[in-house]
Parts: sequence; C-alpha cells; structure tokens
Amino acid sequence: MQITETLGLLLALSFIISLLALTILIWAIANKQVHTPDADDARTIFTPGEGAEIDEPNKPHHFDTERSGIDRVSAGPVMWLIAAAVFWLIFGSLHGLAASLELHLPDLMSGSAQMTFGRMRTVHLNSVAYGWASQAGLAAVFWIIPRIFHTRLRLVGLVKLGFVLWNIGVAAGVMAIANGWTDGLEWLEIPWQIDIVLALGAACFVAPLIATAKHREVHHIYVSGWYFLAAILWFPVLFIVANIPGVHHGVEQATMNWWYAHNVLGLWLTPLGVGTAYYFIPKIIGKPIYSYAVSLVGFWALALFYSQVGIHHLIGGPVPTWLVTLSVVHSVMMFVPVIAVAINQHVTVARNLWALKESMPLRFIWFGALSYTAASFQGSIEALRSVNTITHFTHYTVGHAHLGAYAFVSLVLMGAIYQIVPRATGKYFPFPRLIAWHFWLNVIGFAVYFLSLTIGGVLQGLAQLDATKPFADSVILLKPYLEGRSLGGGLMTLGHVLLAINLIALGFTKKTRETETDNMVAAE
Amino acid sequence: MMSDKMKQDPRLPDETFEPFEESRRIPLPVYWIAIALAIWGVIMLVETSHSTQVADKERAAQNAQDVTATAPVTAEPAAAQGHALFTANCATCHGDLGAGSTGAVPPLAKSDLVQAGGAEAVVRIALRGIDGPIAVNGVTYNGHMPNFASALDDKQLAAISSHVATSFAGAKDGIEPTKVAELRKADAGKDPWAGGAELASAITGLPAQPARPAPAPAMAATQSADVETLVKTGAGYIWACASCHGDKGQGMETTPRLAGLPAAYIAKQLHDFQQGTRFNDSMAYVAKALSEEQIQALAAHYAVMRAPSTARPSLKGDLARGEQIAREGDWSIGVPACFTCHGPSGFGVAPDFPALAAQHPAYTARQLAMWAGGSRHNSPLGLMAGIGKALNDVDRRAVADYLASLAPVPATPKTELAAIDASIPVSEGDAQ
Repeated sequence: MQITETLGLLLALSFIISLLALTILIWAIANKQVHTPDADDARTIFTPGEGAEIDEPNKPHHFDTERSGIDRVSAGPVMWLIAAAVFWLIFGSLHGLAASLELHLPDLMSGSAQMTFGRMRTVHLNSVAYGWASQAGLAAVFWIIPRIFHTRLRLVGLVKLGFVLWNIGVAAGVMAIANGWTDGLEWLEIPWQIDIVLALGAACFVAPLIATAKHREVHHIYVSGWYFLAAILWFPVLFIVANIPGVHHGVEQATMNWWYAHNVLGLWLTPLGVGTAYYFIPKIIGKPIYSYAVSLVGFWALALFYSQVGIHHLIGGPVPTWLVTLSVVHSVMMFVPVIAVAINQHVTVARNLWALKESMPLRFIWFGALSYTAASFQGSIEALRSVNTITHFTHYTVGHAHLGAYAFVSLVLMGAIYQIVPRATGKYFPFPRLIAWHFWLNVIGFAVYFLSLTIGGVLQGLAQLDATKPFADSVILLKPYLEGRSLGGGLMTLGHVLLAINLIALGFTKKTRETETDNMVAAE
Repeated sequence: MMSDKMKQDPRLPDETFEPFEESRRIPLPVYWIAIALAIWGVIMLVETSHSTQVADKERAAQNAQDVTATAPVTAEPAAAQGHALFTANCATCHGDLGAGSTGAVPPLAKSDLVQAGGAEAVVRIALRGIDGPIAVNGVTYNGHMPNFASALDDKQLAAISSHVATSFAGAKDGIEPTKVAELRKADAGKDPWAGGAELASAITGLPAQPARPAPAPAMAATQSADVETLVKTGAGYIWACASCHGDKGQGMETTPRLAGLPAAYIAKQLHDFQQGTRFNDSMAYVAKALSEEQIQALAAHYAVMRAPSTARPSLKGDLARGEQIAREGDWSIGVPACFTCHGPSGFGVAPDFPALAAQHPAYTARQLAMWAGGSRHNSPLGLMAGIGKALNDVDRRAVADYLASLAPVPATPKTELAAIDASIPVSEGDAQ
C-alpha cells in the first residue's frame, strides 16, 4: 500500500510538473523571454553564403530548394518510401475491408485460419500503421527536414538500408501474424524477433535525420522541425521499451500495452501528421502561420501531457484508480495543444479559402487538419468515465480510431504525396481528375464509415448496458451499421486504388516539367 | 492537361516561399481554457486520492475488526448482534422468540435439547444441518434443516448460538468464535446429522431421541450409473453437466446452482429449453439431445444433491434493501416478498418454485433482468415478468446479493422425491 501511494504521488506530480512547465512557458512567451522567429531570421538571413541571400536578397522567407540541390538528394529515398507506403496502404485497406465484411458476413471467408477476422484485422492494423502511415510520414519528414534546414539530406545510404530493413520487417511481421505467430498484444502483435529488424530499420532512419539537423544552416527551427525531430526520438524509445520480451507481466503488461498503443498514435503518427500540415499549409497558400507563440504552446503541451494518456483504455480494468484518473486528466488536458494547433492551422486556411479551390493537396491536408481537431476533441471527451461507460468495447472506439489515424494522419499524408511527387520526380500526375475523385471517395466513404460506427457504437453501448436485454440484441442491432462501415471502407479503398493508378502511370510518363519554379499545384 | 486550362492565380506563391510563423500574442481564450482545465484536473486528482484514502481506511478498519473477533461474545454488543443475526437467519422458521411451529419446526425457547447441549449443540447442528427425525421436549419432528456453514462465519455463528443458548434456554455461557472454528474443522464436509439419534451419539446428555429411519431404497443401479456418466463426462453431443454446473451442482457466476432444486422444476426447465420457451443457446443444444428418461433422471439426480453454498454477495447490492424485498416485498412498487412463493428463507416450494437461497447473485440478477426484458417468459401465470419489471437494476442486485448470503436449501430426501415424482405428470404437454 505504501508503494502504491508513493507511485501515485509521483505520477500525480507528473501532472503538476507538466502544469508548472506549461505555466512557465506561457509566462515566458507573454513577457517576451522567448526570441521571436522574425528577429532570429533577420539575423540568419543576412548570414553570408546562404542560398536565401544569394537568390532572393530582398525577400526574406524565400529559399530555392531546387537550385540549391537539396530536393535532388532527398528525392530518391522519398520516392521509394512513398511507393512502399502506397503498396502497404492498398494491402492494408483490402485486409481492413475483408475484416469489415466478415463482421456482417461471418461465413464469407471461414475456410482458412489466415482469412479469419482475428488475423485479417490484425494484419490490417499492422500494415497500415507500420507499412503505410509510418513510411508515408517518413517520406514527408525526409522531404521537409532538409528543406527547412537549408541543407541536403545526410547519410542517404543509411536511409536506403533503413528502407529495406523496415519493409522486410513489416512484410515478415504481417506474414507471421497471418500464420498465427504473434506477441498477442494489440499494436505489438509483430513477434519481438522480427521487431529487432524494425528497430534496426528505425535506427537507420533516425541517424541521417539527426546528422542533417546537425548540419542545418538556419538558426530558427520551424515548428514542423520540432515535431519531426521529437517524433523520431520518441518512437524508438516507445518501440524498444514496449517490445523487450519478458519485462512486463499481468496488469503491468496491459498498462504498458496501452501506454505504447496510444503513444504510438500521439507521439509518432500525430507529430508526423501535424508537422507535415504545419509545413504544407503555409507553403501552398504562401502565407505565414498565425502565431509562433501559439505553436510553442501547442508543441510543448503535447510533449508534456500526451505520454500519460493511454491508460484511459483501462477504465474499469483492474489497474489502480489513481493511474486511470491521472490518464483521464491528461487526456482532457490535450485540449490545450489541440486548440493551439487548430488556431495556427485553421486561421491560416480560413483567411485563404481560395487556395482550397486551386490546390488538391491542400484540400487533403486541410481536411486532415480539421479531422485532427475533431479526433482530439472527441478523444478527450471519450476518456471521461461517464462517456467511456457507454462507448468502451463498442464500434464507437473504432470510428474514433479511424478519425485520428485515417481522416487526420492518412489524409494529410496523401495530400503530402500529391504535393511532393511532382516536385521529386519532375513529372505531372497524368490523371489530375482522379485526384479529385480520390478526395471525394475518401471524404464521402469516411463520412459513411464514421457515422455508421459512431451511431451504431452508441446504440451498441446502450444495449450492452441494459441488463434486461440479452447480449445478442446488442450484436443484432449493429448489422446495418456494420454494412455501412463496409460500404464506407469500400469507397475509401477505391480512392486508394486511384492514388496507386496515378502513381504507377506517373512512373511510365516522360519528364514533363522543365523547372520547379512554375507553381505546380495539382488542381481539378 | 490541367496546366493548359489552369490560369495561374496571382495570389499563388512561388515555390521559393518558406513557411514561417508570425509574432502574435497567444489569444486570451487559450489562457482561460488552459487555466480552467488545469483547475479541473487538480480537483479530479484530489477527489480520487480522497476517495482512495477513504476506501483504504474502511478496509483497514474492517481488517482490525476481524482481528478483534476473538473478544468474548457475552459482551453486550455481541448479544445485540446475535439477536439481529437470529432474526435475519433463523426466525423465518423458528420464530422471533424461538417458539418454533407446532408439528413442523421444533422450538428453541426452553428446548430440552438446547438446555442439555448448550451453545455447542446449536453450533454443531447449524454447521451440518439436520436430515432425519429429531425429538424436542418429547415431540418428534421430521427434521430438515439446512447447514449454515457456508452462510455464516465463526463470529456470526458464535453470536447466534450464544444468543439461542443464553436468551432462549437459560444457559450461563455462550461460545467463542475460536471454539466454533474448532468445531467447523472437525465437522467439515460431513453430511447433515441423520436425525437426533446421530446427534445424541456425538453429544452426550441429550434427551432421548427416536431411532434412525431405514436408509431410502437406492435407485436402480444401472440408471444412476447412466446419470453419473451424463453428469461427469457427457454422452455424444451432450456436454457433461458438471463442465459448467460444477461436480457438486454448485454452479458459478451466471451458471446456476442446481443442487437441491425441485426435480419437477429442473425437468420443466429442460422441457422449456427443448421447446424454445426458455432461451439459452447452450442449454437448448443440450436439452434437445436429452431423452425424456434422461431428463427425469437428471432432475432426480440434482434434486437430492447436497452441496455447500459457493455463492457470495458480489454485485455490491444493498443487503438491507435485498432483505426487505425478499422478506417483506415492497408494495410501493408492487413487489411481493420473494419468500411468499419461494418458501421461508427462499428454500423453494416444490414443484413449481425453485430455491433462491444460495443461488449465485449474477445468475439471479440476470434472470430477473431477463424476466423484465421479456427474454425469459416461462414462469407459471407470468408471475415473474411483472416482478422483474417492477425491480430496477439496483433492486435486482440488492435482492440477488441478499439471496446469495443465505444458507443452501436442505436437499429433498430420496424417499420424499419418489412421492413428488409420482404426483407430477411428466408428459411434455403438461410440463408448462
């Protein structure tokens, strides 16, 4: 009892310390203790030998990445990562769709163990999380980091090695899962022996980024850089701690499991998505982000509060109450960074709505940024015990997970792909209309998917809480909603196929662009 | 190609534009929201730590109380406790003043047996129950008393027995929990006392007791062997009953205790599962594979089974409220006392009313919920549907928990079972 009290006190302190840190940060900003980026930039821009000064002596905040040769170095690894990511996106989507169909057509694929729901769903999760989102996010990171640091990507060979290792790891992991060999913990299903390959791959990605950051030729690090650098340091820690076998047992293992599973979203996929949106929104629009002070608050509040969030998955479970309460409190505190990011990104878009018409990539990224706000607000509210009582163990949670990982992260990264690929390859997408089709298939498909699961999930939760109804009632009432989910998932998958068609066709076209300076915003 | 039809928007930036952030203050609402959330967070944490401390203190206090259970029971509070426990557990049959019931339940007040045997005799009877003729004050009763070994702990038994011996039979001393613990250890796992004769052989100085009855004729050996196989290992597509209901028919969680339920009730439920008038996929599967002979044999098998109670209150129900519903009902919501139909102390009234005492609370509460929701609807005259609907979730858990705290039903003796069997029509049509 003494030990739990001490631990409880220490963890409660983590909340108090985070609060204190946030207060000090805000005080420092309010009292101008933090250098404003403009003052810093004024200094760096006139440093001799920088591309910006040579190219555009009278235009601060301009830098030609094409002429300085930065993009040419990153283009190779970025294109490989994008190609692999889209492969895993299609692979994962098909498995997700199959798993969804199995929920209302249970005998559809009952012939073999590999095709059963339990394995299909798990293959879906691992291929989209580690194959698609992680690699598409890394593609954006490898594209953006050299650009904002005004220096070429270092250790390119290592990135290529990382790419090979990572894809071998994901493929082996997915095959292992399909054949029934797993570690048996959600998000950590890939056997730890295969995780070694993935960890080595991750190391090969991290080292070049750190080397590039060390050689940066700017004084002020743009906000995307904070998110990316933090994410590539957080992820290896999470991944290795969670996957070391034989360390965690019983309830402690469950606690560790949800600590990892939620942090891999919040401290890995979220910073990748937010950082990408932070870069491309002003880049495409050509207007700055609303406020440097607000982006500081957004980043540090995420860093301070996110790490304790995951345990709200164990509300009602046999874990100490104070641990769950701490997690609920931290979850609700996530309103602060989310509001900060929302102000910075949405204000910039809202003042330049014309750009949504001009740029398809911006539409994807803007929709993703809106979904980030929505998913985070929903998540904070879902963590409250009173709401969780109804939504826990229902399809509502699945809808929420897809609002975050799909509508936010995936759509931002798809937008980034449409923006990056023409610039990395010097080719136009051969079927620009398919991009618009992709966007609308994804938006409409996701709307059908999300509404089905949200409404169905609440009804399912209420039916499960009603002791006078047999459990089967809560299953039977879901059927139309599960069919809606399959319909939405099918539309989304179709959109992904259009992306793949455009990418493959682009691979077969000749180089059409002479220079990077003609603005190439894929539009309808 | 899009580049042909696309007129460049003059507002579009050139590719060399670099994203940057403007120097603006943090909007005021962000401060307010952050402060409000921080305050809420601190309050939440303080509240949780407070309620954790309260729970810890309650637990510590309870532990301390258990340690002091060795205090002499003749102390005043213990006597009051003994009276309360007697009212809750014994008075339904023996009466508030221990007067018994003429011809049916022996008196405790001025009982020659209690006077001779003292509190120790009371404890030993309560620990094992009685199943056989017993003479009190010269009158012979057909004794059927459940055993309270599982329902009452040492301290409670000591308090009750001391109360009975000192208040009703004029004994000077009660008995201490440590002594009860010794007796419990000595009598553990034994059958009920086979009437007063066996009791007299164990406790010296008791008044004269009637002779033991002749043992009931054993069932046909072949039939009981068949049933034994069915229960323990199953047959063909029929799962072993014991795989869910336990080797002693004691049940678990939402799987009911079967030991001691009226044979006719068990047979009716199996028929209902067969015909689909009671829903449970597992039981429907099993029941449909059973022959009529097997159903009757199983019903008889479980009806005479004796098993200590493994049920404990586990639904956090309010036991006082549960006791009120079980003993008195609640006419403000139109609910009669459970015991009105299900017999005193919920022992059950054959053939239609099953025992409720010692049933697992999860099962009882679930069945009540199912009556309420209409997914169980096979009670005679639809009696239970109205009751189930009138009880809310809190009441269902309260009454289920209270019933789980009671002593298990005394098993129907085999001789009596034969009589009941003969009087119940067994054809499927009549089993409604």
